[in-house]
Amino acid sequence: MFSLKPPRPFFRSYLLPQPQTDDKISSEPKIKKLEPVLLPGEIVVNEVNFVRKCIATDTSQYDLWGKLICSNFKISFITDDPMPLQKFHYRNLLLGEHDVPLTCIEQIVTVNDHKRKQKVLGPNQKLKFNPTELIIYCKDFRIVRFRFDESGPESAKKVCLAIAHYSQPTDLQLLFAFEYVGKKYHNSANKINGLPSGGGGGGGRSIAGSGSSQKTPLFETYSDWDREIKRTGASGWRVCSINEGYMISTCLPEYFVVPSSLADQDLKIFSHSFVGRRMPFWCWSHPNGSALVRMALIKDMLQQRKIDQRICNAITKSHPQRSDVYKSDLDKTLPNIQEIQAAFVKLKQLCVNEPFEETEEKWLSSLESTRWLEYVRAFLKHSAELVYMLESKHLSVVLQEEEGRDLSCLVASLVQVMMDPYFRTITGFQSLVQKEWVMAGYQFLDRCNHLKRSEKESPLFLLFLDATWQLLEQHPAAFEFSETYLAVLYDSTWIPLFGTFLFNCPHQRVKQSTEFAISKNIQLGDEKGLKFPSVWDWSLQFSARDRTLFHNPFYIGKSAPCVHNGSGKAFKRTKKSYSSTLRGMPSSLKNGVISDQELLPRRNSLILKLKPDLLQHTDSQHNEMEQYFQEWFSKPVDLHGIILPRVSGTHIKLWKLCYFRWVPEAQISLGGSIMAFHKLSLLADEVDMLSRMLRQQRGGPLEACYAELDQSRMYFRARGPHDASATPDFLSSSFPFSPVGNLCRRSILGTPLSKFLSGAKIWLSTETLANED
Amino acid sequence: MSREGGNQDLSETVPRLPGEMLITDKEVIYICPFNGPIKGRVYITNYRLYLRSLETDSALILDVPLGVISRIEKMGGASSRGENAYGLDITCKDLRNLRFALKQEGHSRRDMFESLMKYAFPLAHSLPLFAFLNEEKFNVDGWAVYNPVEEYRRQGLPNHHWRITFINKCYELCDTYPALLVVPYRTSDDDLRRVATFRSRNRIPVLSWIHPENKTVIVRCSQPLVGMSGKRNKDDEKYLDAIRETNRQISKLTIYDARPSVNAVANKATGGGYESDDAYHNAELSFLDIHNIHVMRESLKKVKDIVYPNVEESHWLSSLESTHWLEHIKLVLTGAIQVADKVSSGKSSVLVHCSDGWDRTSQLTSLAMLMLDSFYRTIEGFEILVQKEWISFGHKFASRIGHGDKNHADADRSPIFLQFIDCVWQMLKQFPTAFEFNERFLVTILDHLYSCRFGTFLFNCESARERQKVMERTVSLWSLTNSNKEKFKNPFYTKEINRVLYPVASMRHLELWVNYYIRWNPRIKQQQPNPVEQRYMELLALRDDYIKRLEDLQLANSAKLSAASSSPPNSSQMMSHLQTQF
Repeated sequence: MFSLKPPRPFFRSYLLPQPQTDDKISSEPKIKKLEPVLLPGEIVVNEVNFVRKCIATDTSQYDLWGKLICSNFKISFITDDPMPLQKFHYRNLLLGEHDVPLTCIEQIVTVNDHKRKQKVLGPNQKLKFNPTELIIYCKDFRIVRFRFDESGPESAKKVCLAIAHYSQPTDLQLLFAFEYVGKKYHNSANKINGLPSGGGGGGGRSIAGSGSSQKTPLFETYSDWDREIKRTGASGWRVCSINEGYMISTCLPEYFVVPSSLADQDLKIFSHSFVGRRMPFWCWSHPNGSALVRMALIKDMLQQRKIDQRICNAITKSHPQRSDVYKSDLDKTLPNIQEIQAAFVKLKQLCVNEPFEETEEKWLSSLESTRWLEYVRAFLKHSAELVYMLESKHLSVVLQEEEGRDLSCLVASLVQVMMDPYFRTITGFQSLVQKEWVMAGYQFLDRCNHLKRSEKESPLFLLFLDATWQLLEQHPAAFEFSETYLAVLYDSTWIPLFGTFLFNCPHQRVKQSTEFAISKNIQLGDEKGLKFPSVWDWSLQFSARDRTLFHNPFYIGKSAPCVHNGSGKAFKRTKKSYSSTLRGMPSSLKNGVISDQELLPRRNSLILKLKPDLLQHTDSQHNEMEQYFQEWFSKPVDLHGIILPRVSGTHIKLWKLCYFRWVPEAQISLGGSIMAFHKLSLLADEVDMLSRMLRQQRGGPLEACYAELDQSRMYFRARGPHDASATPDFLSSSFPFSPVGNLCRRSILGTPLSKFLSGAKIWLSTETLANED
Repeated sequence: MSREGGNQDLSETVPRLPGEMLITDKEVIYICPFNGPIKGRVYITNYRLYLRSLETDSALILDVPLGVISRIEKMGGASSRGENAYGLDITCKDLRNLRFALKQEGHSRRDMFESLMKYAFPLAHSLPLFAFLNEEKFNVDGWAVYNPVEEYRRQGLPNHHWRITFINKCYELCDTYPALLVVPYRTSDDDLRRVATFRSRNRIPVLSWIHPENKTVIVRCSQPLVGMSGKRNKDDEKYLDAIRETNRQISKLTIYDARPSVNAVANKATGGGYESDDAYHNAELSFLDIHNIHVMRESLKKVKDIVYPNVEESHWLSSLESTHWLEHIKLVLTGAIQVADKVSSGKSSVLVHCSDGWDRTSQLTSLAMLMLDSFYRTIEGFEILVQKEWISFGHKFASRIGHGDKNHADADRSPIFLQFIDCVWQMLKQFPTAFEFNERFLVTILDHLYSCRFGTFLFNCESARERQKVMERTVSLWSLTNSNKEKFKNPFYTKEINRVLYPVASMRHLELWVNYYIRWNPRIKQQQPNPVEQRYMELLALRDDYIKRLEDLQLANSAKLSAASSSPPNSSQMMSHLQTQF
């Protein structure tokens, strides 16, 4: 095993030995006072004592005293003082409650009160004043603030500079995961034959405890793709291995799925014409045989028409009904990544940075002018239209985008979440992220801007989680996971430990980690690069009990679909007797074999007639689609079939848990949807318990049943039949998060920071302030 | 159901209440704003307008109580040529319009127009409101829900400091107040009479609610008659001090004037005003900035403009903002929170007034009481709250709603009670387990606010209701709700005593009540029943089923000892009911 020792999450925990009933039990010696808890490979680079962490904006009476350290992984505030006012804490095993991972830092502002100076710290910058205050703006919307009134001025300055330096690394290999994994390999090399078993990256370990004992398919292997083909019943599609060793494209996975009628030879030739050599690859198939495919633009203008025709014909051929292909040019129909980033910056500014009261009056119009909700809606609407094409029109859909690795990820995932109930389970959703984001080459490194220098930053992944949340909000019983799960997943993108979110594509992981391994003298053996921990190994971050908060008590699940034998049915699929005639046949022969002209794609079929801006439907097409939606909404929802979003302005809402969880003024104490969640959890748990008792009753005596209680999938548990336990007093609309100490906007004598900073927006741009020192 | 209607077909297909009579029926085209023109037959009774589609592919039914109608207009004239251009346009009080196209021949429009005018606006024709003709019988008497003596006793009143006075028994002190009032113990009835001369419409400060532990109180009244000259009244000043002194620890009485301060000042010109610092030393006055009935009416009009028939899509949020509706909701809630906070913290007793003390004051006292007292969050408790703070204290329902009155442009009309119910709904949203009742209960109350089927909301004050013998001659809305309680129960309700609810009155949490304001639009309507509630009900049923099976099994197991042949229930059959994944 990859025996990760989880650090003690609470620094006050040495006072009360923490009951660790699950997972890998830490055997670390008692932590000494104000000593940081470090992960393997983590080193302290600087520290300063007598630091005050600000808890409230308007008073210093709750401030905590302690030590601020900067390591190569995080900034950590270590204190003896218990957290005031906070009644509940959702513990991350990798981080203390005051810690911020370096990659989670968005901006570092140093302030000197007396000199009325302030500076946004970039990397390798000088600081000409001794800071009295340090404000960290985090990517997960927190704002943490430290004061150095009593600390050594030079040490304070050094720590600030160290944080600035280490949080803005110049090289990917400086991200902590490398050091961490390197250490793991070294350690394990001393123990077992140099082979770390199950680094997580290879999916070697199960995600036990996350609700199902199933592993999340990572789609790194041929067999994962093959199983997915079988699971969806996609005939006419095959796994293609021409990119093994990334020989064709460095931004495609090694294995992907293509129409059976396209030979490897042809694909190799075609690949040159595509941007990034990203030829079309399959995402998913509807039971009716319509496929969802994504591809990059064909840059070779001369070949464009020909290749396009070949590809579309091949997709048509892979359709059991030989249906036409519907192309959706995402670049022309959806907001681009810069627009999405701009909307997000405004949203963040509005939700967490601006003073609460001042934004109240114009809240609705300000929210509208961020355009965030408009974009969420645009993606949902567009995806729903594609669902119509796939489901009702029986057309295969090709998502086209210049590089095919941004908007395509989002749209492809949303379509699948709407259409396939498997992707609404935890394992299924995770496999979807693997398939359409990680493996498909979504550039997490650039889009998350882990190296803090990319103009390519864009929160597409958050937009996806937000859009998924809208679906969850509208169809609460259709999802196995809760909104807490989605928020925690978002937060996990900012922890530089998981291979999942660190790279621009799988090839980059292999290349970079091989380089790293060589430089560190790590024997890789047969492995392709280092195996980083996977984010799906939730036990690294949360205890089994805390992980139960991922479970949605409203979920109405069927027996979990079995991914492994291919016979599992996520929903009813029609038998396709014709599929066998096509599959496995040499592609060159197929046209000869099929004699029925009806089955051949028509010349000049719809493909070419459809313009890029396909959503400019003719009126009748549009009406048909409207009718399809209306009909769908007029019927009761089949939770195990397709779910569609309502997308009018009144239905698309702000994801409050995600954006307001740290905002103290927005917190509803003992209120919010968590109250119903809590109540339903108790009931769901009681029902589970009764059903266990029933099963056991048929075998054994009643008394034994309560022993199974620990297996509950609910965070809130009934204590027995007809339990009426009181509502815990820590519940709030922010649950399981807490705003206490996490959102400390600065105000000086009632002046909001924005005014203090000579009218600059709080979300300071480095340019504005770089020369103000 | 009554079957005495002449038309055999009709009696089978048109629902009728006992006492309801068919007036006329016509073939019309209903111009549905969502699905286009639909041919149908409209039936007009003395209670409702009922339309059934005559088209085979449409099951459309309209069932609209005539009380909901605010205005009936003829559209198109003899020269109208366009398709469906000739007919009637009916404006309703519940944020919708109904359009019917009729044939130009045969006076069918005239007939329909006249019948509607007569029965939707019976007051203009010296006809009774339908509530007085309604012969419905329920097994519960809603009029028995509210008994002021009992309610005050529940609050622990009278006590050493507060007494019940019968000074207004015949409504001579104040004709818009209830007969029973609670006042400070040491203030005599004569004192009260003198105070009444200094309060607008004699609405003197009286107790609404007392905190069970710290004994601070919520007191309501109308504005003092200060006028331009800044008149003072020793009795009023003494009286307010007596209220403060019912609680010894408190040095100041808090006065919340619901109005914006400019309005309060402006009221001096018409003889009103507010309590000045120099006259009331032991009081602290603040204004809550809630606007008057006219502002609220205009605001709701704007809401209708953006939601009916089509929802403003391209700039939904800024359009919503420009109606200011949620901003008004926010101010009302904020005011109520301040009242509740003062009282629950024991910092001070609170006196609330606006101008006359029957609109904004009722909103504030009732909402604060809802936050403070969990009893009012039950179905019957809420009925008592409405009955007490609104109906008995003279919220002018007749004027604000215009029951049976054709004067649709009357400046007295205003959605003040609707706004209160909206605030309650906002609280329900923020505290999904705190209320025994559900959204449907609130919508039902609002539907019958207009319907005139029940006597509950008729007339402006208790004295008028007594004169009309409303309790004897009409049915109470609470008879309907309390005999169907299951329908109105919130499955998530968790009974809690002594918990004060503080909603967050922020635009970040306030929402437009889509299921009420936009309920006519099939494209916007949210899933009914609410999937979350539905899921909970399913699980409850499942739990009961399991418990029963367990009991059966235990019986069977013990029986098995004697009869080995008995087999346990089929397990797959049992599991098929269980949708939960393990």
